[in-house]
Amino acid sequence: MTIASPARAERRGFGIDLSKPVLYGFAALLCVLIVLPMSWLLIYSFSDGKGSFTLSNFVTLFSDPTFREPLVTTFIISTSASLICCAVAAPMGWLVARTDLPFSGMIRALVTASFVTPPFLGAIAWEILAAPNSGLLNKVFRSITGAGPDVHVFNIYSLSGLIFVISCYTFPYVFVLVANSLDRTPGELEDASSILGGGRWHTARRITIPLVLPALLAGALVAFLQAMTLFGSPAILALPAGFHTMTTKIWSLFQYPPKPELAAAAALPLLVITVMLLRAEFMILGRRGYSVVGGKYGQPRLIPLHAWRWPIFLFCLLLLALPVFLPYGALLNAALSPVATTFVTFTNMTLHNFEFVLFELSATRLALKNTVILGSATATIGTLIAVIIAYVTARQAVTGWRMLGFLATAPIAIPGIVLGVGLFIAYTRPPFVLYGTLWILLIAFVTIALPAAYQQLQAAFRTIHPELEDASRILGATRLKTLRQITAPLLRTGVIATWCFIFVGVMRELSAAIILFTSETKVISVLIYDLNEGGDLGAISVIGIGMLLITFAVVIAVNRIPGFGSIRFRNS
Amino acid sequence: MASVELRGLTKRYGNTAVVDNVSLQIEHGHLVCLLGPSGCGKTTTLRLIAGFVEPSEGEVLVGDKLISSPAHTVPPERRQMSMIFQSYALWPHMTVAENIVYGLKLRKIDRVTIGQKLDAILATTKLAALAERYPGELSGGQQQRVALARALIVEPETLLLDEPLSNLDANLREEMRFEVRRLHDEYRYTTVYVTHDQSEAMTTADLIAVMNLGKIEQAGSPEDIYDRPRSEFVARFIGSSNVIKGKGLDATHIDFAGVPLRCVGETIVVGADTPVSIRPHDITLSATQPQQAENVVPATVVRQVFLGGSRDYMVEAKDGTQLRVVTAAEANIPQGSSVWLHLPPGRCRALAG
Repeated sequence: MTIASPARAERRGFGIDLSKPVLYGFAALLCVLIVLPMSWLLIYSFSDGKGSFTLSNFVTLFSDPTFREPLVTTFIISTSASLICCAVAAPMGWLVARTDLPFSGMIRALVTASFVTPPFLGAIAWEILAAPNSGLLNKVFRSITGAGPDVHVFNIYSLSGLIFVISCYTFPYVFVLVANSLDRTPGELEDASSILGGGRWHTARRITIPLVLPALLAGALVAFLQAMTLFGSPAILALPAGFHTMTTKIWSLFQYPPKPELAAAAALPLLVITVMLLRAEFMILGRRGYSVVGGKYGQPRLIPLHAWRWPIFLFCLLLLALPVFLPYGALLNAALSPVATTFVTFTNMTLHNFEFVLFELSATRLALKNTVILGSATATIGTLIAVIIAYVTARQAVTGWRMLGFLATAPIAIPGIVLGVGLFIAYTRPPFVLYGTLWILLIAFVTIALPAAYQQLQAAFRTIHPELEDASRILGATRLKTLRQITAPLLRTGVIATWCFIFVGVMRELSAAIILFTSETKVISVLIYDLNEGGDLGAISVIGIGMLLITFAVVIAVNRIPGFGSIRFRNS
Repeated sequence: MASVELRGLTKRYGNTAVVDNVSLQIEHGHLVCLLGPSGCGKTTTLRLIAGFVEPSEGEVLVGDKLISSPAHTVPPERRQMSMIFQSYALWPHMTVAENIVYGLKLRKIDRVTIGQKLDAILATTKLAALAERYPGELSGGQQQRVALARALIVEPETLLLDEPLSNLDANLREEMRFEVRRLHDEYRYTTVYVTHDQSEAMTTADLIAVMNLGKIEQAGSPEDIYDRPRSEFVARFIGSSNVIKGKGLDATHIDFAGVPLRCVGETIVVGADTPVSIRPHDITLSATQPQQAENVVPATVVRQVFLGGSRDYMVEAKDGTQLRVVTAAEANIPQGSSVWLHLPPGRCRALAG
């Protein structure tokens, strides 16, 4: 018997009561981080350049063809990417979780690899592979068929090319949801159908698929959302092709002469749709409970694929070549060859690109310095805030803890580019003129990192039974001493993992940074974007490979910590 | 002296009183069990004594010192208490030895003394060979002994136990039950023990407080609680009494299935529906009408089961009331037979309606 859970609500500090100041302090901090930029966004979207109220921004947004077209394009891209992701990820998730597909662990690892690949890096790699003239794949095609120099089979600078690349790096969201849901669905549910006379395929159709349908639906929404709010891939692939998506359009409004009012109005629909879709995802997954009802369950019986085992496995590998093998190969090739778009051989192999990036390119040093400063600062501050809020909510230490938890999770509903616009407006005016400093980027990155950090640390706190702290108190340790001697050591791995995750997340962030950077506050992701504009693909590949290596190291290390398995990076 | 006294202790969450006006006097050196089903408020009562929860009303006193009241609560670390948790709460990042000496280190005791005390408690709890292990490497029973050692080494004035045996298997539980009592007798601290297992309470406690819905239904010695239950809840919860009902005829008699039944216990109100408890093994069952005229009720055997050492009958009186009767294994009366039940007046306890 335990009535411990309500009991927790009443545990206050003794002596000086710090709970109120802590609560209000953090609530205020979170409000500044979230409410301030979003309010300015709202105000600006309803104002003309001089500060009086107008609806003209929205009229322009929905009537001017240069805005309507990006809206339509974005909708087409998100819908098709979402459908493609479901079509690929759902069968693959089922194959991995429920059949005797060989090396399913390897397939999962490869999906994770494409999960953590920054999408803008993938887009650039696909430029190297499938640009109409210089693309490696087109070159291979021409050398095989002997076709003329202008003939190409692939053109990545196109709507379909963009949809393809976005799908490559979005399908893992669906895969993870479907595979996790199947992993959690107990095999007995299927056995129960078999014993009642359902054949394997009948059971799959009538039991398994309906059980994972909510996860699939939620996956489709998340994929839609990702495709809609992505900035990097469309900026790299759509702009050369001469069309805009909403995110690139918003970005273009900050090119000279800047039109922040219109940008705010264009950002608002993205925000509203994101909030709505996340709400829908929550509702769909919230009902998931019915798939797992009590009791102990065993391993599911795997469906034998018989003769199809190896062909299907090879097909999966072929599919995963698109987001992983081919792009990684292209980056490696570009890093080692004198010209990014020629094949590297033993005779022309060179380390020139490494030399250039590390020692000659002055912008690298600045961007690297900025990234390290911002990464460490964001990781430290973000982890600190997240630890305190997670402690407060996990132990329900102060009344009003629910609100803190809500505020800490809220930024998840703000797309990076929308946050960028909001912060730009909020901090280019007195009393906080932060634009042009690293501070504004720090604020953006902390806000973006907070939800994931908070969720991770809350999971970490959940693994620490409150009685471990109670035991220390009753033996004579004060609250603070207990935190230091019991809670902190037990939380250490979780805190370190969170810190690393935030650091890596900062390294990958592009969509907020692209609005907020100035020449002095450039970061690595922006540098990559700049280098791409200049066509310096070799240098990008060197930086990109470094980035990937750091990311993989962190992901592999973190995956060893129990309870930390299902972490989402935010793509931008 | 560390006698513990609860005065009108109440804990409310919103409008529900989880602990409702609980008063209890625990003498120094006694072992008290708070016994009750899940959700009866016994763990919250324990946490109120420990200082993890502040009372909404009422007071907790140790000796003559007030340690909990709505206005002021002494924090747990300054109460000279120790507690054994249901989850054991062993710190996974510390070895067995480090876990055990944690409290001593906080008390700033010198290293030599700590070493001596550690060796002594390790020997008492048979843990000497495991001192350098981590809790994750121990079995359930070993973990339980570490929790015991960690709580006892600080020589607390008061020891609190929150269902300490509920995670152990049956054999080990029996063994640890006597271990808890033995250590209590050895060190003579005041112990408050929370459990939902009545045999655990019976074998360890000096005083049992049966709780239900946040209130103490009855407090008394194990014999008291078992032989002289005062309410239907206690009668049913402790052992498994038959509770029969009848209208009061006078202060000592009820009418049960047409037979006037003489009872002891609470004073019976004439004309009121009165519950009366009687234990299955106190009833005598015979195939022929017995000699006594008093408290003999005719009934029919509904079913009977041979249990090896005894025989378990379900019989039905004329008014349809079913009673369980436990007899010697040899008394084999077939199903459907008419029988006579003798309910000894000293064993029929009228309960508070």
